[in-house]
Formats: sequence, structure tokens, C-alpha cells
Amino acid sequence: MQNDEEEPDARIFSVDSRFEKLARRPGGVPREEAIERAHEMIEELKPGFSQWLDRELSELGELIRQGEAHDYDAAWSDAAYQQCHRIRDVGTTMGFDLVTFVANNLCEIFATISSGGEYRADLVDCHIQALLFARQERYRNLQPEQLPELSSGLRRVIEYVPKEHAPK
Amino acid sequence: MKSPTINLRDLLFVVADPNSYICMIVHSMLRSFGANKVIEVRDSLGVIKALTGQKIDILLCDAKLPPHGGLKLTHAIRWNKNNENRTVPVLIMTGDTRATTIKTARDVGANMVAAKPLSPASLYDRLAWIAFNPRQFIDTPTYFGPDRRFKIEGYPSGVGRRKGDHDLVVGEDAGPALSQSEIDNLLNIARSGQD
Repeated sequence: MQNDEEEPDARIFSVDSRFEKLARRPGGVPREEAIERAHEMIEELKPGFSQWLDRELSELGELIRQGEAHDYDAAWSDAAYQQCHRIRDVGTTMGFDLVTFVANNLCEIFATISSGGEYRADLVDCHIQALLFARQERYRNLQPEQLPELSSGLRRVIEYVPKEHAPK
Repeated sequence: MKSPTINLRDLLFVVADPNSYICMIVHSMLRSFGANKVIEVRDSLGVIKALTGQKIDILLCDAKLPPHGGLKLTHAIRWNKNNENRTVPVLIMTGDTRATTIKTARDVGANMVAAKPLSPASLYDRLAWIAFNPRQFIDTPTYFGPDRRFKIEGYPSGVGRRKGDHDLVVGEDAGPALSQSEIDNLLNIARSGQD
């Protein structure tokens, strides 16, 4: 896409949006207070996170079980990727950085399968096990770097995902 | 630097994400920031319904919002000349932080990109940035949206480019995932004519 400066017919105008006008009004919640309140509210949501994660993992497990019937095709791996991405997008916010890390790894595996890579059950299974491990309460607020054996091990596993299907 | 305060009371937010849990988290964050009018939708149709017949104040939209994606939706909003919400601020939320995705978000007319997983500080700062750094709109045959040649000189809170951040070279390759500060920096590059 071209830059605006290359466009001879560019019309430039100001938009004084309601958001800009009203958000600058005095009387809002100061940044530090707002962030603290948000963290408190997230804390209140955390008990429900475990139930949500259990449901998501159960659905992911079911998707993986259906993979063979779908010949591990692109549509199947896309669905598995999306499922895994949901877990990835929430983990850190809820204090489970390790869950996000493992789910992100698994996303990479499904993305590789989606673009023609081969499905390897052992590589997916070890990530599912790692997710079940990482979801435990005692690993909340732990960073992947604090569990180097697990995190570096899973990163190495990613390198073994075949980029292409082996000839049958 | 003095921390900025944003007043979100009576502003109408639309949070569009297929993940109900993400919607709930973002909704909760916005409430904590003082917002009292938040609509949650799960797909593009929900956004279009929300945009019809009422003026919304800001759209927080997932980049992969089904069925066609939040980036295509943003493009459609910007190019619909009959839509009174054509110039609404759009904040794209995405877990796909490759440089090509951020560039696409910018080129379809998004105001800002926030990397998932979201944090309260990240969301507050980006809303404050949109509020305190109004940008002119550009209307050309190939682009309609906020001026892409803008410069982030640090968020009003004083959060800005970090000492350890690397310079970015923007290429055609999709490339690796970027951090939030790298995303902001990539948006900044456009102003200096490197893109």
C-alpha cells in the first residue's frame, strides 16, 4: 500500500472524536488506581479461570482425537490452532505465563501442520501433558525462565516437527 | 512525567472477540478504568449490528474476528462512506504480532494495536494514547484512516521505548512475533519514511 505522501489527491482533515473529547475530561480514574482496580477484578475472575481452562483443554483434547478422521488436514489443524490460541491469549493475563508459553508452542506446531507439516502425536501429546502440568495453582506467577528444563525442552521439541509430510 | 487520567464514563465501547473469556476480561478492565457502557460481541455481524443506528465511541476488535477477520472489518468500516462510525477509533487486539500483521492493521486504518495477552497497563496506556494524541484523517483513493505517519514519543504515562529495544527493519517476510514496544515502534517507523 502506498504512503500518503505519494498520493496527489490526499484529503487531510481533523476528526475531533467523541472518544478523544470525553476521555480527556477531568474526573477519570487515575492510571495507577485504574490498573490496581483492574488487577483486583482479574483476581476475582481467577476462580472461574480453572473451570474455563478445563473446558478449553477438554475441547482441545476432543479435537485432537478427531484429527485422524480428518487426516490431520489444514481445516482440522486450523481449528486446533484457534482452540489453542484462545488458551494462549488468556493465560498470562490470569497469572499463568507458563500456560501461555506452552499453548504458544502448541500453536506453532498446529501452524506448521496447517502449512503442510506432518502431524506427530508424540510432540502434541507432550505439550498437552505440559499444559496439564502448567495449569496447576502452584505454577501461577511462575515465568517459563524459572522452569528452564521444561521451557527449553519444549522449544527443542518444536524443532522436531516435520515441515513436510513424509512420502507414503 | 505526570500520569494521564482518562475519563471513560458515558463512552460507548464495543468489545469484539470470539473468545467469551477475553471479552469478559477486557470488559472487566474497562469497568475498572471507569467505563460504564460496554457492549460485547462475538463476530463481525455483531459489530455491524452495534454500528447500525447508534454512534459508538471506540471499537476494540480482535484481528481474527470471525468470519472474515477484524482487519477486513476495519477496512470495511473505513470505506463505508454511509457509515456514521467511519472515523471511530479502532484498537486491534491480536496474538499474531508478526510485523506483516501490524503493518496490515495500520494500512486498513486501525488507530492502535494491542498485543495479546493483554495487561491492564497495556490497555490503559493505549486508550490514553488514542485520547491524548489525536491524529488527522487521510482520505486518498487507496487509504482512508488516521494518519499513518505519526510518532510515538512515549506514552503520556512515561512508558515508551525501552533502552534494550532493537531497531526494526521491515521486510516482506512475516517474521517473528513482536513485543508490544516493538509493535509501537513499527508504527513509529512509518513517520520517518522507512516504510
